[in-house]
Amino acid sequence: MASASPEKTRWMRGPSTPLRGALLGLLLERPGHGGDLANRLAARLGETWRVDTNDVYRLLEQLEKTGLAVSRDEPKRTNLRRTHLVYYPTDQTPEALTIWMETLLPREPVRLGLQAKLSVARQEDAPRLLIALRAYERECLVLAQLVSPTDGEARSWPALCMDCTRDAVYAQLQIEVDWATRTRQRINEFLERSD
Amino acid sequence: MTPLLSFLNVSKRHLDGGRDRVVLDHATLDIDAGMSVGVYGARGSGKSTLLRLAAGITLPDAGTVRFDGRDTASMTAGERSRLLRGAIAFMSAEDWRANPGESVVDHVATSLGSEGLTMRQARQRALRALDAVGVSASGAQDLAASLSVTARTRVMLARALAREPRLLILDEPALMPSLGDRDRFYALLRSAARERNMSLLLASEEMSALQGVGVLMSIADGELCSTEERGTVVRLPGRRQAGAEQSG
Repeated sequence: MASASPEKTRWMRGPSTPLRGALLGLLLERPGHGGDLANRLAARLGETWRVDTNDVYRLLEQLEKTGLAVSRDEPKRTNLRRTHLVYYPTDQTPEALTIWMETLLPREPVRLGLQAKLSVARQEDAPRLLIALRAYERECLVLAQLVSPTDGEARSWPALCMDCTRDAVYAQLQIEVDWATRTRQRINEFLERSD
Repeated sequence: MTPLLSFLNVSKRHLDGGRDRVVLDHATLDIDAGMSVGVYGARGSGKSTLLRLAAGITLPDAGTVRFDGRDTASMTAGERSRLLRGAIAFMSAEDWRANPGESVVDHVATSLGSEGLTMRQARQRALRALDAVGVSASGAQDLAASLSVTARTRVMLARALAREPRLLILDEPALMPSLGDRDRFYALLRSAARERNMSLLLASEEMSALQGVGVLMSIADGELCSTEERGTVVRLPGRRQAGAEQSG
């Protein structure tokens, strides 16, 4: 278990944490320049997030400032006379990724954060993912429980609208719980097969 | 205080096409008197197994199920059967069977056969239970076999309530075509449980059917996840204690 001192989790502040965490995972897989990393992120996260290349460069600079990435000016493959910045992981990158995998995220970006973690997770992260998925499942159940129940009699238009809104919340949370349980099941089945 | 129903590390396995499948894996839960618990899960997730274990219809392969402090595995088949006709009522939409020519009130009254009541007393109790679920005295004379799905579900609830159970277990009880009817049924169920301080254990494939419960759980792959969870143990396949604990 990695130790998560405040210094080691400082880079996790702000709404872009899932993207920064995913970038660390990608860097550990193989180094790359900003455009390459943006394309790889987009390929992993699909249409869930619109990954802007400029944002990726900005996030890489932030990671470099915190010592979790390092850049080198290298010639472009397509034009050796021109150069671009290629980002590499540092000695601290693996531990930072592990700590991020273990960190419970605040409620709002939790689903996207989990998706980002899944997109770059290593097999050794499986226990952390299972814990995070389980915590998310529970969080969704708690949210569902907070919804006040219908009295069963939508006698007015506002009451009907309230029932429909309530239904939308349940439908959304049900999808989330289904996704979390399905993902846990897939991971467990994989681990069983690879045992 | 002793919980009305408790599961301690309960596991159950089934043979599925020659493969040994864990349907319930080390489930632990307590249900106190008057408490309502909803279990959400997809088809085949293990929720019906959980309910059947709670009702004493099946016994665990490992762990202990206790009702009112008594281990269901230590009871004789006769004791379990009496428990299921008395302190525990089990209701499933698929369990509806009405005899030809039988009125609604007689359908409910005959289900009280083992209570030692005269037919007149049983009919009176049936009428009270039917009234509690919104079936009028004239509606009680309708033919049970000709009821709509919605009316039939109410009558099934009356049949369960007439026994004055301490724990009502419901497995997907309201498969109704109208959402309004379904919402009204669940609101009725919640208020009936409150008035009687009756515990509810309710399972559904629809999370919205479980609204208003005191504890909400999900079940998948035999594993329970609960809003009441204080510590989560994640078990990895093939390893007994390879998981980690996390404060809820």
